[in-house]
Amino acid sequence: MLDFFTIFSKGGLVLWCFQGVRGPAAAATAPVNALIRSVLLQERGGNNSFTHEALTLKYKLDNQFELVFVVGFQKILTLTYVDKLIDDVHKEFRDKYRNEFQQKGTLGLLNGTFDFKDDFMRLLRDAEESSKVRAPTVMKTFEQSLKSQKTVKCMIETRGEKPKEKVKNKKNKGSKKEGTEAVAAPGKASTGDKQSSAAGDREELTKDEILQKNREEFFKRHMKAGEKSSKSPKPEAQKEKGKKPRVWDLGNSNAKVLDYSNSTTNGSVEACPVEEFDPDIAVGDRNREPGRLYDLEYESDDEAEEEKVIQNPSKPSVKKGGLGGMFGMLKGLVGSKSLTREDMDPVLEKMKDHLIAKNVAAEIAVQLCESVAKKLEGKVMGTFTTVTSTVKQALQEALVQILQPQRRVDVLRDVMDAQRHRRPYVVTFCGVNGVGKSTNLAKISFWLIENGFSVLIAACDTFRAGAVEQLRTHTRRLNALHPPESHGGRTMVQLYEKGYGKDAAGIAMEAISYARNQGFDVVLVDTAGRMQDNAPLMTALAKLIAVNAPDLVLFVGEALVGNEAVDQLVKFNKALADHSMAQTPRLIDGIVLTKFDTIDDKVGAAISMTYITSKPIVFVGTGQTYCDLRSLNAKAVVAALMKA
Amino acid sequence: AMAGTLEPHLEALRRELRAPDPAVLSVLLALLAVAITLLIWRFVQGRRSSRKAVLLLGLCDAGKTLLFARLLTGKYRNTQTSITDSSAVYRVSNDKSGIVTLIDLPGHESLRLQFLERFKAAARAIVFVVDSVAFQREVKDVAEFLYQVLVDSTVLKNAPALLIACNKQDVTMAKSAKLIQQQLEKELNTLRVTRSAAPTSLDGSATGGPAQLGKKGKDFDFSQLPMKVEFVECSARGSKGEEGDADFEDLEKWLAKIA
Repeated sequence: MLDFFTIFSKGGLVLWCFQGVRGPAAAATAPVNALIRSVLLQERGGNNSFTHEALTLKYKLDNQFELVFVVGFQKILTLTYVDKLIDDVHKEFRDKYRNEFQQKGTLGLLNGTFDFKDDFMRLLRDAEESSKVRAPTVMKTFEQSLKSQKTVKCMIETRGEKPKEKVKNKKNKGSKKEGTEAVAAPGKASTGDKQSSAAGDREELTKDEILQKNREEFFKRHMKAGEKSSKSPKPEAQKEKGKKPRVWDLGNSNAKVLDYSNSTTNGSVEACPVEEFDPDIAVGDRNREPGRLYDLEYESDDEAEEEKVIQNPSKPSVKKGGLGGMFGMLKGLVGSKSLTREDMDPVLEKMKDHLIAKNVAAEIAVQLCESVAKKLEGKVMGTFTTVTSTVKQALQEALVQILQPQRRVDVLRDVMDAQRHRRPYVVTFCGVNGVGKSTNLAKISFWLIENGFSVLIAACDTFRAGAVEQLRTHTRRLNALHPPESHGGRTMVQLYEKGYGKDAAGIAMEAISYARNQGFDVVLVDTAGRMQDNAPLMTALAKLIAVNAPDLVLFVGEALVGNEAVDQLVKFNKALADHSMAQTPRLIDGIVLTKFDTIDDKVGAAISMTYITSKPIVFVGTGQTYCDLRSLNAKAVVAALMKA
Repeated sequence: AMAGTLEPHLEALRRELRAPDPAVLSVLLALLAVAITLLIWRFVQGRRSSRKAVLLLGLCDAGKTLLFARLLTGKYRNTQTSITDSSAVYRVSNDKSGIVTLIDLPGHESLRLQFLERFKAAARAIVFVVDSVAFQREVKDVAEFLYQVLVDSTVLKNAPALLIACNKQDVTMAKSAKLIQQQLEKELNTLRVTRSAAPTSLDGSATGGPAQLGKKGKDFDFSQLPMKVEFVECSARGSKGEEGDADFEDLEKWLAKIA
C-alpha cells in the first residue's frame, strides 16, 4: 500500500529506496524534495506528516547518525501502521549499519551497500498484519442471546391480569417511546395475546355489548392514566370558556408608571445628598503646582531585576545539588551523552518564554521550539557542551535560517530589468491602519530617486482624510531635494491622484498606463489601511492586486505588533488567494518592517512575520526622515533576540 | 613583541651569569623553555591549519552532491536536497600524493550563507557548480550567490582558487562555459552597482561591503579578481547515463593542480 520508502542522509545521499506501487525511482525525489524544503528547512518540523499533491509523507529524523526516513502513501488511504513501521525500520536500520555510520563517516555512506530490502519487507508484513489482527466482532447467534432463554410461558398474559398488563404496557409505550427491544417484544406479545383474548371474548358476548364494554374500558383506562394529567387540563378548560383580553403586567400602563427614576434628582439640589467630599483623595498630591503636567516617573529597577534574574537560575542548580547531582553534571559535561526529550524540555521551556518575552508570537515560539526539539532528539553532544548550550546553538541556527530570504531581495536589479523592457516596475503597499505605509513609501521613493530612477506615486488611498495631501507634500519635498535640473530635466517624482471616494483599482490601472506613456521607471501604489477582518475591504484590495498584477506586493507591518502579526498576515494572504482568478495567485512578496527604532531589542516581530509567510523582509524603517531606510541583517537581529 | 620582552630578561640574565644564583637561573631557564615551546607550537599550528579544504558551492539542484559522490567513489548515487554538509578526504589520482578535503555544502537559500561562514576560513579552493541547463533562468540568482562569495572579506583575504564548473553538460540544451562566463560578467557588473546602492544594514555595516569587486570605471572581468578563476565544463551524470563514468577530466586535472 505504500508508494515509496526512502532512507537518505542529511547530506543528500540516498542510502536505500523502496518503490511500492509506483514505477521509476524519480517519482520519489520530487515529493521528498518538497518535504525537505517546506518542512525541514523552514523549521515547521513540529508534526511529522506533510501533504504534497496526492501523497501524504511521514518522516522521522535520526539526529545521531544524520539520517532521514521518509514514507509516502496515497492521501486518501488512512494507514494506521505507518508510524509504527517507521519506528521499527529506524531501529533496525540503525542497529544493522551502526558500524558503517560510526567508523567510516561519509565514505562509509558513499561506499556502503545498504541491502535492506528483505528486512524491510519483513517489517512491512508484520506491520500490516498487526493492523489487521482485530477481526470485526461477530454478531451473537440467536441461541446465545438472552431472549431465547426466556420461556414462552412468562410472556403469556392471563385474563385477570389483562387490564393491568394493558395499562402497564400502555404506560410503558407512552413513556418509553424509544422503546428497548425488551419492551417492544413483550408489547408485541401482549398485543398478540390481546387479540387472541379479545377473540375469545367475542365468542361470549354480542358485538354491540362488546363494543360498549370496550368503550367503557377504554374510558376507564384513559381516566386512570389521565388522572394525573387531567388535573392540569381542567383549569385550562375552564378558562377557555370565554376569551378574555390578555392583561400584560407592564403593558397598557402609562409610561409614567414605568418611570422609576427619581425625576427630582436631575438638576435639583436638595434631592441629591451632599456626600462627604474629601478634596485630598480627589486631588491627590497637595504639593503640585496647579496646572502643570508632570513627567512620567521612571525608576530604574534594572539592577534589582538583574539580581533577581541571576538568582533564579542559580536556585534550581543548587536544588539539584548533592553528590549525585554533582556527578551527573560532570558526566554530562564530559561523556558522550545523547540528548533525550526530558533533558531538553526545561531548557526549551525557558527558551520559549524568552522568545515570547522578546515579542515573538506565542504559537510561533511553540512551533519553533518543537521543531528544534525534533532536530536535536537523539543527537550526541560533544565533550564539554551542556544541554543549554546545544539547544541555544540549535535555536540560533534555526532563527538565522528563518530570516534568510528564500528568494532574491534586490529591488534595484528588478527595476533595471523592467527598465530594459520599457515598462514601469509596480510596487503595491498594503497593511492595516497606521503602520506607516505612506511614510515608508516616501522613504523608498527617495532611495529610488537617489539611484536615478523616476517615480510615479499613485494615490490609491481614497478614503482617509488628508491621504492625498500627505503624498502631495512628500512629492513637493522630494522634488525640492532633487530638482529636475540636476537630473537632466526630468521630474523625478510625480503624484497621480484622482481625489477621494473613487475606486482604488481603477486609479491604479490609470496610473500604470500613465507611467508607461510618460516613461516613469517605478510606480509606487499607496493603498488605504484596512483591518484584516473587514471582508469587503479585503476583497477590494485583492481586486486591486489581481487586476493590476504588480511586480512586488509589499506588506507593511510595524515591529511593535505582537501576536497580531500572525493573524494579519494569514488573513491578508488568504484574501489575496481567494479572490484571485489566476491559477497561481499573487500573494505577499515581501515585508516592510516599520517603526524599528521604537523597539530596543524586542525584535520578535521579524521572526513571526517571516515564519508565517516565508517571504523576506525587504526594508526596515527606523524613523520618519527620508534616510531612515535600512535592510535587514539577519545575524544582528538574531543576536538581539538571543541576548538574555 | 617577543624580542622586546626578551631584552630586559637578557640583561637580567647577563647580570645573573656574572653572579650566579641557582634559583633565579633555573627560573630563567624555565621561562626560556616555555617561550621556545610556544613558538614551536604556533609554528606547527600555522602549518596544520594551512587550508586544505575544497568547497563545493552552488545553487540548489546544481549537482554538487552527485559530483561529490562521483569524485570520491566514481559511482552514481541518487540524491536529495542536502540539509547539512558532508566532507571526506579525496586522494588525487595522480602520482603526486596530494590529498584535499572535499566539502559539499548545501545550496538551499536559507542554509548556504551559514555553512559558507563556517567553512570559508579553511578553504584552499572553491568549486562553484552551475547548472548549465537552467542557467538562463537562474542567472540572477547564480550571480547573486557568486557575488556574495566574492565580496566576503575572508575570501578576499585568502584568495582561494576559484573554479566555475558548468555542470549538466550531458543535456543538449546546456550552455557552454564561454557563454556562462560572459553572462556572469555582465550580471556581476550590474550587481556591483545595485548592491552597493542597497540600503545600509541595520547595524551599520553595508550589505555590499566596502569591498569593490574588480576595478572601478571598467566593466567587470573575472581577471580583475585577486584569485585565479577558471571555467570548465563537466557532467556529473556522464553521457552514458548512470552506469557510465562522469565526464569531468578537466575538473580532476584542476583539483590535481591545486592539491
